[in-house]
Amino acid sequence: MASLADALPATRLTPRPRRPAVSPIAWLVGPALLLFVIFFVLPFAVMAVLSLLSGNPAQNPNVYLTSRHYVRFAGDDLYWDALWSTLRIGIVTTLASLLVGYPLAHWMARMKSRLGHALLLMAVIAPMLTGIVVRTFAWMTILQDKGVINTTLIGLGLIEKPLPLMYNEFGTVVALVHIYVPFMVLTLTGVIGRIDERLEQAARNLGASRLRAFAEVTLPLSLPGIFAGSLLVFALSISAYVTPFLMGGTNVLTLPMLIYQQVSSSFNLGFAGALGVILLAVSLLVVIAYNHVLARFSGPEGLT
Amino acid sequence: MTANRLTRRAVLSAGAAAALATIGAPVILHAQTATLKITTWGGKWGDIMKAELLPAFEKEFKCTVSADQAFPFVPKLQASPKSNPVYDVLHTNSNEQWSSLDLGLVEARLDHKKIPNLADVYPYAISDKIVGVSIFTSAIGLGYRTDKGLKKPTSWKDFADPALAGMRGGYIIPVNSLGQCHLMMLGKIYGKGFTDLDAAYKALEALKPIKLVDFTGQMEKMLLAGEVNMGVIHDSGVLRYEGQNQPIDFAIPSEGVMALEQVLNVTPGSKVKELAYAYIDYMLRPDVQKKLAETVWYSPSNKKVKLAPKYDARLFNTEAKVAQLIQPDWKWYNARKDEIDTRVTRLLKG
Amino acid sequence: MSARSVDAGRLAYYALNGAIIAFLLAPIAIVAVFALNPTPYISFPPVGVTGRWFVKFFATDDFMVALWLSLRVAVVVLLLSMLIGGACALALARGRLPGARFLTAFFMSPLMLPAILTGLALFQVFQLAELDRPVWGLIVGHTLVAVPYVLRTTLAVLANFDTRVEEAAASLGASPMRVFVEVTLPLIRPGVIAGGIFAFIVSFDQFPISLFLVPPKGETLPVVLFNYMKFDLDGAIAAASMVSILLALSVVLLLERVIGLKAYVKL
Repeated sequence: MASLADALPATRLTPRPRRPAVSPIAWLVGPALLLFVIFFVLPFAVMAVLSLLSGNPAQNPNVYLTSRHYVRFAGDDLYWDALWSTLRIGIVTTLASLLVGYPLAHWMARMKSRLGHALLLMAVIAPMLTGIVVRTFAWMTILQDKGVINTTLIGLGLIEKPLPLMYNEFGTVVALVHIYVPFMVLTLTGVIGRIDERLEQAARNLGASRLRAFAEVTLPLSLPGIFAGSLLVFALSISAYVTPFLMGGTNVLTLPMLIYQQVSSSFNLGFAGALGVILLAVSLLVVIAYNHVLARFSGPEGLT
Repeated sequence: MTANRLTRRAVLSAGAAAALATIGAPVILHAQTATLKITTWGGKWGDIMKAELLPAFEKEFKCTVSADQAFPFVPKLQASPKSNPVYDVLHTNSNEQWSSLDLGLVEARLDHKKIPNLADVYPYAISDKIVGVSIFTSAIGLGYRTDKGLKKPTSWKDFADPALAGMRGGYIIPVNSLGQCHLMMLGKIYGKGFTDLDAAYKALEALKPIKLVDFTGQMEKMLLAGEVNMGVIHDSGVLRYEGQNQPIDFAIPSEGVMALEQVLNVTPGSKVKELAYAYIDYMLRPDVQKKLAETVWYSPSNKKVKLAPKYDARLFNTEAKVAQLIQPDWKWYNARKDEIDTRVTRLLKG
Repeated sequence: MSARSVDAGRLAYYALNGAIIAFLLAPIAIVAVFALNPTPYISFPPVGVTGRWFVKFFATDDFMVALWLSLRVAVVVLLLSMLIGGACALALARGRLPGARFLTAFFMSPLMLPAILTGLALFQVFQLAELDRPVWGLIVGHTLVAVPYVLRTTLAVLANFDTRVEEAAASLGASPMRVFVEVTLPLIRPGVIAGGIFAFIVSFDQFPISLFLVPPKGETLPVVLFNYMKFDLDGAIAAASMVSILLALSVVLLLERVIGLKAYVKL
């Protein structure tokens, strides 16, 4: 994204090559870097070190280096399946959030009335404020066998046996999309709102249909928002554990769920740390690759 | 001049004294009121602890109690230095005490001389299946809906009734000790004994489709809402709705119930061990036990507790009733936990 | 927009958005029902209406103390993460930093790691430093997971941002400081504010990190609610949820009145 942010205006609008000199603005990264190094890298490094030790040195001085936690992961396909489920749920949730979030973001960005805008904003933000656990319980009430949907459908005589809406990946994704779609909407709204509506109008005046004007003007210009929102939702959904835990039943197993189990009931910080390192490494790779592809894709030709 | 200097000296020394007093005060205060760091449950248990029992303890022993109600306790204890543990007294279920012992986080054996009330507890509370002392127990059996035409279950085998397919409730075994107890019970019922895992796995698979939850409060809700018609649950989770006109009841299978013990233990690095022992002794006092038992429907482990009739009728508070309690061998289970977790997860998935 | 006749495409557009809003609000409706339903568990259909769960919520000291703490922490986190995240976004987009792409991914990492690990890791470091669980530690933990939001939303706005505006201002003789305050800042404001809203909400609703970083008697609302729920899964939880929604919404609306959220639509 950063590359997009600085490459785009520089290359698209001013043809001269990028200046290599670091600007004084770069110092502004300081506070964030300090915060992250002391309170994220350092604690996480402790975790990573624990994942290579036979025990916790805070409790037991006689620990030795071992790769057994990683060997355990590599040697059991249950864990590989969990990693794959985690990524798959992340990708599906991200795509679904984009499909659900884009129309709403567009409406919100184009809303002229102040009251209408405030109401929409409230509708988008309210789900985020329900509290993760309560919200998940609400979804359970809707989707479970004796839930709102199944009770209604059975009452109407449309189905005889409850539909399997919960205790599987479907229910998990529905609840995850609900939780994370506001992040997508608010990120997109900021970007779509900055696209000059007159551009779309101009395209239509030139004879383009509304859909075509949207596809060729608004959509490409909102790509930064799509990318930013997708990345947020992806990151959030691969690290979620309360929702898959409650919604997925026995059919869903993700890495965060395994980490939670290891921390809270197996008390194996070493293995939990190893799972964390693996999850973070894989997702950072995904994100960096994504940024890389993005930088190419949104180069001079990509957006014009 | 002299007067002036005197005054200045007086002011200076008064200032110094004041400064010293300010700095010293917290130290003196600290010396007077030691802090006892404990873990405790929330809910109605926590309410009564915070409103009555802990303030009374603080008053009697001239200390302050810092009671942590935010799970998970053992990982926090694990992450704190051994010489300066985040808790002095650890209150957990029995299985976690065994894990804690393995990790060197709790004492292997309590000093019985420092807990006079131990003389009055049922033997199960300090048996070799317990690390520390069990102050209460509840009984893991079957909770069921009374309005679905179900016969009151008399055996653990009734849980496998095909009519209950998809309407029976169990626990996510890796994270819930009730689920772990149930697994051991399956080995006993369908195999050679509590340690017959192969029979237990087979029996568990036969219980599919089954709805699994991660904590007992959720099982209570599923029973109340009719999402399940029968579920593995402890008596307290069903009995606490007594008098609220809910169509649920608790059944004690003939093969026996598993004990879900509330265990207290002291951490080796505690700097206020005397106080820690005093607290454990306090929690075993008959009046304290009675109050908590009648709040959350836990069976007290002190024999001298006299419960009101409605509690007396259902809780495990006589030698004969206590004999129905089966104490799981957590040392054995924890040693195999990883293997069991993987196996069970694979078995129930898909 | 209003002058044009309503055609099929427009109808589909509104129908789609209506469905999406229904999807967003359905669980909240359920929570509202649960908060007003007298049964001590979530049930459908509801059997009556009662205010007792709200009374219970407001009458319980633990809830009130925690609610107040959560609000204060969330406001501090909002301000801190807007400052830190906004500055960081500017540096990454404009600083011509080598490795900016890697840094951007790096700053996202607290979101990708299950927060229970982040919480535990922070707790462990605080314990090793013999700090126990100070409230600033909690704020730091929340800020850590809030900054990435501000960073993303601000970067997204900066990506569409024409540097020539600043260059023009500079060439007209404005000092770099003045360019920053009068041109750059207003332009990135919508992104920073959108991120700030996320930061507030993420902190107010933060659970796994708080779980490890709150001391006894200094618990935030989600932690108190979670502990409560393990034992009493009754309507007080739903009432708490409804109150949280209303409270946090009023904070967001207040923000809108004061700083003008509409700004990022109107820009």
